[in-house]
Amino acid sequence: MNPARAYLRSHRGRPASWSDRYVTGFSLVLGLVLLGQPVATVLGGLARTADPARIGAGLALIAAAYAGLLALARAVGPIALPAADAAWLVLSPLPRRSVVLRSALILLVTAVVAGGVLGVAGLAVLGSTGSLGPHLMPALVIGVTVSVAGAATAVLAQASQTWDTRLQVLVAGCVLAAVLAALLSTVLGGGPGRQVLVAVAAAPASVVTAVAGLAAAAAALLVRQAWAALDRLPARGVLASSEKAGRVASAAVAMDPGALSWIAEDNHWRGRTLRSRPWPRLAGRWRAAAPAWQEWRRLSRRPGRLALLYCCAALPALAAQATGGLSALPVVALFGGALGAAATATTGARRDGDDPSLARLLAVGPRAVMAARTLLPTALAASWLVLALSGLAVAGLLPSGLWWALGVATAPALSAGALRMARRAPIDHSMPMVEIPGSPPLPIGLLLWALTGLDLVLVGCLPALAALGAPPASLASHVATQAVAGLAVLIGFVRRRPAR
Amino acid sequence: MSNAMPNAIVAARDVEVELGGRTILSGIGLTAAPGEVVAVVGDNGTGKSTLLRCLAGLQPARAGRIEVLDGPPADTTDFWQDVARTGDEPVWYPGLSTREHLELMTAVHREVRMTVDEALAAFELTERADLAPLSLSTGQRQRLSLAMTLLRPSRLLLLDEPERGLDVTFRERLADILNGYTAEGGAIVMATHDLRLPEATGATVIRLEGER
Repeated sequence: MNPARAYLRSHRGRPASWSDRYVTGFSLVLGLVLLGQPVATVLGGLARTADPARIGAGLALIAAAYAGLLALARAVGPIALPAADAAWLVLSPLPRRSVVLRSALILLVTAVVAGGVLGVAGLAVLGSTGSLGPHLMPALVIGVTVSVAGAATAVLAQASQTWDTRLQVLVAGCVLAAVLAALLSTVLGGGPGRQVLVAVAAAPASVVTAVAGLAAAAAALLVRQAWAALDRLPARGVLASSEKAGRVASAAVAMDPGALSWIAEDNHWRGRTLRSRPWPRLAGRWRAAAPAWQEWRRLSRRPGRLALLYCCAALPALAAQATGGLSALPVVALFGGALGAAATATTGARRDGDDPSLARLLAVGPRAVMAARTLLPTALAASWLVLALSGLAVAGLLPSGLWWALGVATAPALSAGALRMARRAPIDHSMPMVEIPGSPPLPIGLLLWALTGLDLVLVGCLPALAALGAPPASLASHVATQAVAGLAVLIGFVRRRPAR
Repeated sequence: MSNAMPNAIVAARDVEVELGGRTILSGIGLTAAPGEVVAVVGDNGTGKSTLLRCLAGLQPARAGRIEVLDGPPADTTDFWQDVARTGDEPVWYPGLSTREHLELMTAVHREVRMTVDEALAAFELTERADLAPLSLSTGQRQRLSLAMTLLRPSRLLLLDEPERGLDVTFRERLADILNGYTAEGGAIVMATHDLRLPEATGATVIRLEGER
């Protein structure tokens, strides 16, 4: 063991007693018992033949999830240390691998668990003819090895620029694969695309076993290289990742999820040189709208994020295909995605809510600024919904009708919800807990925080939800009702003068 | 304590503030007329920032009378059109450069005291104009904060430790900039630990004594 760690462990306080071990063991057994039943139910439900109509969408979702995991690993580090280790051990002469070993093991365990989930998800999509047993193990092996290989690549990317480029190519490849799978499932759904996907699903066991073997060999090679790379991880990268992880941890300890998006935003702009451009000149009372231009400019400087946002508009259609219709999951993806699109353009409102110093210096009416700030989130939510609803219509999951108009009419309510979320106060942890029979106590402060913003979305989107729940023959009345409801919610939100 | 003057921009008398059951300020008064500077000095925890917050309408006083521009201070848009305040570092708008933060001030206010280029030059930020504020050093960010405060029109400046993070050379320059502001008829109330700043601006010094 690393001598520094041995010293720290010897000074950590009293050693673990038998009662500590009993509590740990009991908790593990209880966890297994509680999780065992749902896991068994999920696995039992996998023993069925694949539905050819759902394969492409399911594979696209899995590829997108894998790309997301790789991107997350790259963003986090993936090797990050607690603040104390980062401060005292990274710059010490101790072997680097022994310093970061614990983080590497945590990464490995996380990758194995994520891989298991990916494997099971893959089996759910591709189905299994006959009994589940012979298919489950290769699926798990492929999932875990692919996930572990991804984690190893991320470690190598942290140590070398060449591998970082390779990791970025891998992420782009996965996104491309997701797009291709989605296209095969939708555009070429009834023709050769489906045949390709069915052929993949019907691959003989020998081929699957061979693929699993190859994947395991490749993963082993990458893990070996990553193990060697742990010793030459540059201190700068580990320190930067540790600082990021430390801030995330403090945000988690303070239970302030809003702080996480601040961290990501600040990290993006820190150290950047921007091409300054003049501010649009507005005359008279329109000057009060000038602060809202900040959001347009910020968004124009993040075209990649905007492109990713619009690519995600395909997710509701994929989720609908994967689940076999317009069930709860695609509807949640539809409204959640549109709310997320609106929320990407609320940073100015959030900053002024958290610290009104600059707003006071600007000395413009908060209502006028808020009115101007609704435009971009409304435009983003509207365009995102139009794309997502068009995707659902193209995939044949919605009857013909003015769905794009319903999307436009829904956007104001989503914009109001996103801006209300941006202006909400931090979680009030002093509020009492609610005891609900059969479930853990619920903290009211957290509940109120989570519902602030969603309340406006739910109220303002009721006509659209009704139309999606039971698609009517003619959408016109729903569109009109939705437009009135959306605008009423937005105007009501803006007129209620926000606290400075 | 000062005597209230008929044309005073700020007039405070017998101000008393209690925070958490402890009296922070008691019997404090000050007056600032156009062209005058009042410097509030004292050890840490004697209530300098609290007094400035009272003058800005952000902290209610338990007793006493405060008038700013012929009325009680209030956290309203009308009030902030005449009063500019600099305290702790503000949170910067994401996605904007240093120059664009100053541009925003000129886009919002009808008349400004200086152009963006003049402000960048006066606060020695020209070389850093295209950087995001988070890329600046602590002292440079304080200069940006002061530049935004002094670029916009106002009749009263409330400055809480304006010398924070500034190097010695720029502190002298800041005194010249503040003298320029008062020469135009503005009044300044500042809390400071740098006793050279009141001296260089000809400020009336009010010393707060508190429990240690």
